[in-house]
Amino acid sequence: MTIYSFWIFDRHCECIYHKDFKRPQRVLRPPTLASTTGDTKENAQQQQKRVVSSGGPPKGTGPLTVDDEAKLVFGVVFSLRNMVTKLAGDRESFFAFKTSKYKLHFFETQTNLRFVMVTDVRVEGIRPILEQIYAGLYVEYVVKNPLSPPEHPGGEGVNNELFSLGLDRFLTPLEIFE
Amino acid sequence: MRGVGTGHVDSSLHRGVTASAQALISSAVDTSSLSCYSDFASLLITMSKMQSSSRASSDKLSLRSSAPSSVLAPRRATIYDRNVNRRAPDLALSAFAFLFSEMVQYSQKNVKGVQEMENKLSAYGYHVGQRVLELSAIREIKNAKRETRVLGLLQFINTTIWKAIFGKPADALEKSKDQEDEYMIIDNDPISNKYISVPKDMPSLDCASFQAGVIEAVMDGCQFPARVTAHSVPTDLHPLKTVFLVKLDPLVLERERYMR
Amino acid sequence: MAVRTPRQVGEDVWKTRIEKVNAELVTLTYGSVVAQLCKDFRNDYVQVNEQLESMGYNIGIRLIEDFLARTNSERCRSFKDTAEMISKVGFKIFLNITPAILNWSQDNKQFSLIFDENPLADFVELPDDGKAVNELWYSNILCGVLRGALEMVQLQVEAEFVSDVLRGDDATEMKVTLVRVLEDEMPVGDE
Repeated sequence: MTIYSFWIFDRHCECIYHKDFKRPQRVLRPPTLASTTGDTKENAQQQQKRVVSSGGPPKGTGPLTVDDEAKLVFGVVFSLRNMVTKLAGDRESFFAFKTSKYKLHFFETQTNLRFVMVTDVRVEGIRPILEQIYAGLYVEYVVKNPLSPPEHPGGEGVNNELFSLGLDRFLTPLEIFE
Repeated sequence: MRGVGTGHVDSSLHRGVTASAQALISSAVDTSSLSCYSDFASLLITMSKMQSSSRASSDKLSLRSSAPSSVLAPRRATIYDRNVNRRAPDLALSAFAFLFSEMVQYSQKNVKGVQEMENKLSAYGYHVGQRVLELSAIREIKNAKRETRVLGLLQFINTTIWKAIFGKPADALEKSKDQEDEYMIIDNDPISNKYISVPKDMPSLDCASFQAGVIEAVMDGCQFPARVTAHSVPTDLHPLKTVFLVKLDPLVLERERYMR
Repeated sequence: MAVRTPRQVGEDVWKTRIEKVNAELVTLTYGSVVAQLCKDFRNDYVQVNEQLESMGYNIGIRLIEDFLARTNSERCRSFKDTAEMISKVGFKIFLNITPAILNWSQDNKQFSLIFDENPLADFVELPDDGKAVNELWYSNILCGVLRGALEMVQLQVEAEFVSDVLRGDDATEMKVTLVRVLEDEMPVGDE
């Protein structure tokens, strides 16, 4: 069993944290001519725009930046959640959906923080894991961190050392992480 | 009397603690209990010596007693009538953590660098330290003893003061091997740093400057002026371990030598 | 399992799931914040009130996450339920007090919280400059906390103190008014 990726979206629908696991397919886009000629900031931005060349969900036809992928993932969970609410009432939400290649798990707090984990299809019932990431890691290391701002435009303050390390330490020993 | 009530507290908020000491003292003096009186007398001496230096003196000193207003207007029981020995029930650590977060966020605005930000956090701690010292002095009134030597005072901070605010004594008190004027108070798990992940662009920032301010206020208030700074020295066992470096004013060293 | 009242939830969470700290640390630290603001705004208490409220708002945004993570509470069904949760669970698990809920408006969109105890203001006396007792709401940070925390659960409220024992009033009272229930935000560019 494997975790492919993990995402957090805030109430403003912005991706504030993202981490890839076991994604050898994801490669850095080779530097373009423009980015090799000096402007380091631009270069860095180019470097950050990693692309998916093949495999991994969602399977695109062309290169997909992390930003694009975040938008896609969010679009899917947001529509699905809204549909479920419309069909089944306010207090209903969805837990997961799966395709032949992957499974997407979803947990939303009352504050509209959305936690998404994409795994292989065999992974079952990891909602408690997402809840623990929220209560044990996100609240303790992001929310209570005086140096993190109250909200996280552009992910500011989420990707800190304690949270990242905590997440690694929490997920790595799990059965679903192999 | 005036010296006690108005001591080294600035004119604005939280004067209550000092003022209640005054109320406490007046009532004790009124009952003319002799043994009690001598205790209070020693306290008066202790406290009148607590005129603090440096930052405290830049605070506005209020030389006005607050007694007249309560005479003029009939008022219900005031804070001066309350028992300062009563300890309020505990609160959630989170309440402190969230308040501290906002203090840090507010201090981050318009600062030029890490140093300035640490100074601001230290100033908050200084304000707290002044009041904790007074409160401890009043509560420990039975064993009121004026600390005249550096080590005694540092031990008082290390145990009594630390316990009074953080619920546990500090973890160690050490003297610098190389510097005669430097001492270290060590806290393995300082409350201010509990949830902190220091960002990479400010690696030297230590939010425990808040506690450094507390120590500095107590040192100053007891006539041992010193500069106190916080330094993070993480170990595997205690990743938050912080050393509070107390650098004594040369005058203090001189006095120590004289007293020896 | 029987449905537990907010009071039971609050007591239970407070007893079993909350790490405690000495109240005086919080009281004195809050005092240092208000004192600093009075200095920074040169005793312009109207501005101090605003700054306290805005700091409270930021705290509320954080605090609600801690609240939800610790209480696992369900979404409230009505504003009345919300008031109960604020008093019996929210104030209980952070400040160890349960302010009374009084003065409901007829449309059930406004209530008052009456604070018999207020750890923030313990042993506090307002500056006697003749101005503070009329202008400063010492505990105004709490109004911001409620506004921030409730906004995060899609309730836009206004909260303000209308009396304070520190000013010589008989009671400390905060009015909380529901403005509207917020819609979930939509992704940018989506209609």
